[in-house]
Amino acid sequence: MEHEKDEHIEDPTIDTSEDIDVDEFDDEQTSRDLVVPGEVLTEDTKNFLPGRGTIFNKDRSKIISLNIGLKQVKRNYINVIPLRGFYTPRPGDKVIALVTDKNPVKYICDINAKDRGILKPKNTVPRGKPRGYRGGAPDNHDNSTKKYEIGDILIVKVLSADRLNKPELTTVGKYLGKRRDGLVITIDPPKIPRVIGRSGSMIKMLKNLTKSNIFVTQNGRIWLKGEDLAHERLLIDAIRKIEKEAHTVGLTDRMSEYIENEKKIRGMN
Amino acid sequence: MPLIIKDEYPEKLFRDDGKRLDGRDKDELRPIKMEVGVLENADGSAYLEWGNNKIYAAVYGPREVHPHHLAKPDRGILRVFYRMATFSVFERKRPAPGRREKEISMVISDCLKPVLFLELYPGTAFEVYINVLDADGGTRCACITVAALALADAGVPMRSLVTAVAVGKIDGELITDLSGIEDKAGEADLPCAITWFNEELSLLQFDGETDLEEFSKCLGLAKNAFSKIYEIQLDALKKKYIEIQEEYSRGEKK
Repeated sequence: MEHEKDEHIEDPTIDTSEDIDVDEFDDEQTSRDLVVPGEVLTEDTKNFLPGRGTIFNKDRSKIISLNIGLKQVKRNYINVIPLRGFYTPRPGDKVIALVTDKNPVKYICDINAKDRGILKPKNTVPRGKPRGYRGGAPDNHDNSTKKYEIGDILIVKVLSADRLNKPELTTVGKYLGKRRDGLVITIDPPKIPRVIGRSGSMIKMLKNLTKSNIFVTQNGRIWLKGEDLAHERLLIDAIRKIEKEAHTVGLTDRMSEYIENEKKIRGMN
Repeated sequence: MPLIIKDEYPEKLFRDDGKRLDGRDKDELRPIKMEVGVLENADGSAYLEWGNNKIYAAVYGPREVHPHHLAKPDRGILRVFYRMATFSVFERKRPAPGRREKEISMVISDCLKPVLFLELYPGTAFEVYINVLDADGGTRCACITVAALALADAGVPMRSLVTAVAVGKIDGELITDLSGIEDKAGEADLPCAITWFNEELSLLQFDGETDLEEFSKCLGLAKNAFSKIYEIQLDALKKKYIEIQEEYSRGEKK
């Protein structure tokens, strides 16, 4: 099959930190207080308002938590940074999708959310491409589902998503398209900001120390490709460790130490 | 030759020293042990040992509903599957879900619904699979307790946890947390559950005979028991994370 130019992904050393530049877990205002659903965060409702993951109780006398997570006080808002949860697609998110089904009008992709994403063929080729010539049969370019196969790993952008309809996806754009190599692992979606770190510090450190390419997406999936198998294994172990210890402080320093140690133990240069 | 054992209950459900048959005081709970995150492939899971009860709960969701006609266009649904293992009771239980299991599934589902924000997830289902590996009285209460834990572990937004306990009356005395034999041979059995965000009862079933005064005393007993069990629930949820935090902070001191 012929492959388009736009499918070609230039340098996969991509900085995804522009999407999530604040590492909520590492914020000074995030306390290490673990809260569980129903726990009273404050009874001072005059000075504080419920933010993310929190709610007033019935008579508005208390603010209670909805999730298991870490308590954060930001200005006059009280938030709870969740430690567990699921991914909810939002327009503009770049996510890794797996093509699970296709029919003549659309691809159906698993994006690790409650609904499966829809990828229409018109969203797989850039606009403004010649659509056949006048009077002749249309070039079957942008309305057939021949470009991708079932089982392909795609990096897609969410075009539209809401509570009721299935999210619509696109593969037109920078860094988007099919991935032919590397491997994909899945972690808890709420812990993705931790893997990126504050202004991308963690991901830069991981890239430098393991000499790998990493693409972190909001839906909890991480695409990675290392120099060799040993580096990839080390990287996966490191990411699993980050996932496990996401709620502790000073993780970046500890992780670089951990990787250096593991390199010595595993005999990698 | 099948072994036939008659259901024989002791005449007295209290020992001579005033304690219950298993050596508990009247308002004493059986030993309770809880753990979360025990199943790798579930979105959230919990395990509970409550006396001789051994129960696993697994939560999946939100996800698509199958069969599709059960899906509601304006809200999500909560499906609970309460199942007892064949070896969980003395005489082999037939594995097909019976009337009792379907009813208890519904009761648990109705009990947990008020704490969830189902209206935020239209067309989807949260599914709670509860397996009773070993049963000895009060399984529906234990199941509610463990299902709430598993939901919290899955990261489902909840108004609060739910706690359940059974209270009742045996030999004319009011007691907390009935065991299997007390349930069968006793006079009254009152399973109840509380939702902590408004401290309202979410489950109240009754079987047996009491007068009104005793009934309200029973609820008082339940209230004391709720707060004890709630503490254990909170500990179990937090333990997983606090252990890691402590392990790390100890390392820092060195």
